Amino acid sequence: MTPMTPIDALVLTGYGLNCDHETAHTLNLAGARAHRVHINALIDGSVTLERFQILVFGGGFSWGDDHGAGVVQAVRMKNRIGDQILSFVDRGNLVLGICNGFQVLVNLGLLPGLDGDYTARCVALTDNDCGSFRNDWVHLKVELDSPCIFTRGLSRIELPIRHGEGKLVASREILQRLQAGGQVVLRYADAQGRRAGGAFPANPNGSLDDIAGICDPTGRIFGLMPHPEGYHHWTHHPDWPRIKDQCRRSGTPLPEGATPGLEIFRSAVAYLQAA
Amino acid sequence: MPQRLEITLKPELFDAEGEALRRKAAAYFGLALDSVRTVHILTVDADLNPEQLERIRTEVFTNPVTQVSAFTPLAEPFDWVVWVGYRPGVKDNPGATAVEAIEDCLDVRLKPHEAVYTSRRYCVSAAGLARADLERIANQLLANDIIQQWRVFSRQEWDPGVGIGIIIPKVILDHTPTVAVLPIDSDDQLRRISDARGLALNPNDIPTIRAYFRNPEVMAARRAVGLGDPTDIELEYISQARSDHCNHNTFRGLFRYLDLETGQAETVDNLFKTCIEAPTLALKEKKDWVVSVLWDNAGVGRLDADHYYTITGETHNSPSNMEAYGGAITGIVGVYRDPLGTGLGSRLIMGAYGFCVGPYDYDGDLKPRLHPRRLLDGVIEGVRDGGNKSGVPTPFGQVLFHPGYLGKCLVFVTALGVMPAVVAGVPSEHKTTSPGDLVIMCGGRVGKDGIHGVTASSEVFSEHTPAGHVQIGDPYTQKKMHDFLLEARDAGLIRFVTDNGGGGLSSSVGESARFANGALIDLEKVPLKYAGLDQWEIWVSESQERMTVAVAPQDAERFLALSRQHAVESTVIGRYTDTGRLQIRYAGKTCADVDLSLLESGFPQWTFEAHWQSPALRGLAEPVIGEPADYDGLLLAMLGRPNICAKNWIARQYDHEVQGTSVLKPLVGAGRDVPGDAAVLRPVLGTPAGLAFAQALLPHYAAIDAYHMVACTMDEAVRRLIAVGGDPHHIGGVDNFCWPSIQYEPQTNPDGRFKAAQLVRACWALRDVCLAYAIPLLSGKDSMYVDGHLPGRFGERHKVSALPTLQFSAVSAIDDLTRCTTLEVKAPGDGVYVLGETADELGGSEYYDLFGDVGSQVPQTAPERFWPLYLALARAIAQGWVASAHGVYRGGLGVHLALVAMAGRLGMEIDLGRVPGTEGMRADKILFSESAGRFIVTVDPACQGRFETLFQGMPCTRVGTVSADPNLVVRHGDRALTRLPVTRLLEAWKRPFGHL
Repeated sequence: MTPMTPIDALVLTGYGLNCDHETAHTLNLAGARAHRVHINALIDGSVTLERFQILVFGGGFSWGDDHGAGVVQAVRMKNRIGDQILSFVDRGNLVLGICNGFQVLVNLGLLPGLDGDYTARCVALTDNDCGSFRNDWVHLKVELDSPCIFTRGLSRIELPIRHGEGKLVASREILQRLQAGGQVVLRYADAQGRRAGGAFPANPNGSLDDIAGICDPTGRIFGLMPHPEGYHHWTHHPDWPRIKDQCRRSGTPLPEGATPGLEIFRSAVAYLQAA
Repeated sequence: MPQRLEITLKPELFDAEGEALRRKAAAYFGLALDSVRTVHILTVDADLNPEQLERIRTEVFTNPVTQVSAFTPLAEPFDWVVWVGYRPGVKDNPGATAVEAIEDCLDVRLKPHEAVYTSRRYCVSAAGLARADLERIANQLLANDIIQQWRVFSRQEWDPGVGIGIIIPKVILDHTPTVAVLPIDSDDQLRRISDARGLALNPNDIPTIRAYFRNPEVMAARRAVGLGDPTDIELEYISQARSDHCNHNTFRGLFRYLDLETGQAETVDNLFKTCIEAPTLALKEKKDWVVSVLWDNAGVGRLDADHYYTITGETHNSPSNMEAYGGAITGIVGVYRDPLGTGLGSRLIMGAYGFCVGPYDYDGDLKPRLHPRRLLDGVIEGVRDGGNKSGVPTPFGQVLFHPGYLGKCLVFVTALGVMPAVVAGVPSEHKTTSPGDLVIMCGGRVGKDGIHGVTASSEVFSEHTPAGHVQIGDPYTQKKMHDFLLEARDAGLIRFVTDNGGGGLSSSVGESARFANGALIDLEKVPLKYAGLDQWEIWVSESQERMTVAVAPQDAERFLALSRQHAVESTVIGRYTDTGRLQIRYAGKTCADVDLSLLESGFPQWTFEAHWQSPALRGLAEPVIGEPADYDGLLLAMLGRPNICAKNWIARQYDHEVQGTSVLKPLVGAGRDVPGDAAVLRPVLGTPAGLAFAQALLPHYAAIDAYHMVACTMDEAVRRLIAVGGDPHHIGGVDNFCWPSIQYEPQTNPDGRFKAAQLVRACWALRDVCLAYAIPLLSGKDSMYVDGHLPGRFGERHKVSALPTLQFSAVSAIDDLTRCTTLEVKAPGDGVYVLGETADELGGSEYYDLFGDVGSQVPQTAPERFWPLYLALARAIAQGWVASAHGVYRGGLGVHLALVAMAGRLGMEIDLGRVPGTEGMRADKILFSESAGRFIVTVDPACQGRFETLFQGMPCTRVGTVSADPNLVVRHGDRALTRLPVTRLLEAWKRPFGHL
């Protein structure tokens, strides 16, 4: 059997970003080679995007999230290495923005990328309606008509959310275009998989149309508020002690295989390996 | 010319911040506001041209989708405007990041005198409110006058062209730094200097200090460097180093203990040595997992073959009591520097909190500076922002209400880190400084922050006076420094690292210089926030987010280059020497030269009289309460008690899963809404091992006997670890004492001798339980002055002392995390067991407190009887025979049976008559006794045979069955007591704070 092409993934660090270790770990579990790289190493050129196929804007509080989550990071990256990022996208690579990274992507304009314009800001992620940061687990409905590379093969999943600014806001027109183009990837749902309909806490932030994640028209750029890297091991799930107990009683093996969170990264790696 | 940018949400968008204020005004003061819209203001005090201003407005500070903005006042509708901004010198974190963003966007550098100041104005629509209502909202909800200023405008007063005007809270000191020389010709003169400068020198230390400066050899050496009488910087240094905070003079004191009942007299020389150090060192010999204790910023234990964990706990009481948010965020961010400054540096992996405040709905005559409700809101938010923005999970914490904390609240903050056992080829737990190493200060800059509050508060406030004695932690700056230092560590560039907290450079350089045996500092190199600080202020300033690092000269260039890449300021401020002296120069001129040995020699021990009055001698007796008839009502009332009920809104605001290490979360069970016994995490991803962590607080028992308070607190923390599957042979402890003043003074502290005796007994319990359970104390701290003087109705002041309080933190390693279990009942048909004996021990209990009673029969521990039971339970959990396990804590069996049923959303049928040790006891006492050493365990019928065999000969009885019928049914023999649906239990338990 021929060895798979190695897939190199870059996980941004620095300036208050904070999910880099577990994101890199999950990428490694998914078969990629993850590299944690400081934003300034890209800016000063000591690392370039050319050798990477996946770029991850991870979770955290870049610049303290003081002037709108992800805003200052987007300004810095756009001004310093905006061209590099756009050509990275042009080369057919994958971009993933998680939580704070999603906020950066919409402020950069990489999302939603309507009409091939990867610089326009027409979607915002703003303060949760509940008025505070919230850490909980949510049910998510995966929109099957989406071209998103990352969610292939998934239909309903659970993931943790941990944010204070996750309410997706856009004009009605933009929302309709996202819907029509299959760019809505994830929606908050109830335990039965039905759309949350804005109801708290199933929809934890008041996001319009229950939107939790969107992609660009190609499906190669994906941003989401929930944390897939936060569910890379079966013991992350809040119910795992109960699941373990049921397995013991029924004599079935523990669910130690891939989690939905890990599957999102695996889909990305599989896509690139097949390309 | 300064410009003011106003930013607000587009009118059609929901304003969550404004809505939160509207709800609070209604809930706290009954004020009906129709709506509140928030306007964010940036006052840009920088020389930018109109094009530049427009560019930052559109590209950075205005979201085109959600916001509108203008450099003129926005025309938001309102009846009233409340503007709130910072006072000069208060850390304005968003202002600092705004500067970074402007510099980045425009590719310019702002000049040193230029800055951005953030503030807010709230546009309140409310018919029928008076100015006084708005003033109340301003000063009791939005602003705290020690860090903030505010203005209220009515619609008539508002000039739409001027708005709030241009308000620039800039620090202008207009002062030339000066070293003062302070003659100390007599002890009295030095005492006066101490009083005037707020040095807080102990009177007993004064002769020793004077003797040093009058020593002919010292005088000759000082003359040689141009010094004579001590300088202000020297006395400040000595004061810091000798402070109780740094030196633990109380715990190292001599206690003359006398039991007034028995006449037993005993001299206790040094509680630290006898009750903390001695047992810990003895246990370190037996426990190979104990790596490093009793000297570094945090204790070090082994997690697995390749990794160590570090742990410490702190309090931040006085600052939080003044400014809840600022104090708490400074506390959590500050304690995170301790693991970072332990060994060669450890990565932060978790934080925990404990908040003790006055009654939530207090409406008595005393006037605390901040109402307990507001104080709690502030400390919750401070720890939330500090922890979340540090990227460190906060998976455990507790809140406790008691009137004793009206005088001063307690804010406990605990931090854990992890580091590789070997860093760049050397053992990570070792660190040292050597002559020639550079002294480098990293992180934030130095201002007048935290310089002893007394001096600061005695200054007259002006428009430009820094309100520096209360700080606001900056997790963003510290997170950058954290990431940088760990990279520098892994590159082998760090020889020694410690934090700048209490005492600032004075303490970090002073302590690190002891390893090399000297240091020479050039104080003018220290980067300042603003000009005009005196030399002594630079030396003792407690400006946050700073570490002091020793770096070999040949590594300096790499270290500084890495620092630049991480956008962290690092400055060489001196070097370590072997002169035996701490020498400080400013612009080449020596301003301090002190023998390091001064601080290790010759200071007299503090002494305390400690008179113990037994509970009987104090007239404590059991209350006479007949048996209740309405057990349903009683149980529901107990579940709704402030110290029992759900406080889930706090845990949900705290990121407890960042880093991907979460194994057992703060809220567990079928509804994910019941607090677990302990947090469990997997600090090193991809490995099977991890840590369990728990804390306990039981100050109510100290009202009877502080010995049993401590013993029960420790026992609870241990049981919390055992219940989730912790290893009983690997339990490390952290003791955090918070005590009222113990120095007897007939007028101001008439019961000081009793409080001192309580401290002695508390330490005895600490020693006894540590040895009995084999718990080395990995770290610990004490905060000794938990008293407040509160104004009353008639202008009189009342001293309010906290209950003697110990927060005990316990940590355990777990080899295989999949063995862990949780508290909720899992399946109908499982047997319910109670482990451990229940006795008539309701003294200090929640049940007695319900009726306003204290009682006398406080729960007592019997470690020698408890321990075999704990070992057996640990084994049963490891074998997988246990479906659920939960300790029985405050509120007793009644509360904790309800919790395990609620957590499982299943019913239980329980017969109290079977509870071990309760023969002849009344049902209410069985239900609410708080006897230590107990667990509730449920077991699958398939495992019950093995389970029961394991517990043969121990107090472990099956008391009932888990049922699919979702009711908690409790009887006592043949007598039915309660039958309550789990949904009603949940409703009663969640109702008190359900609106939050």
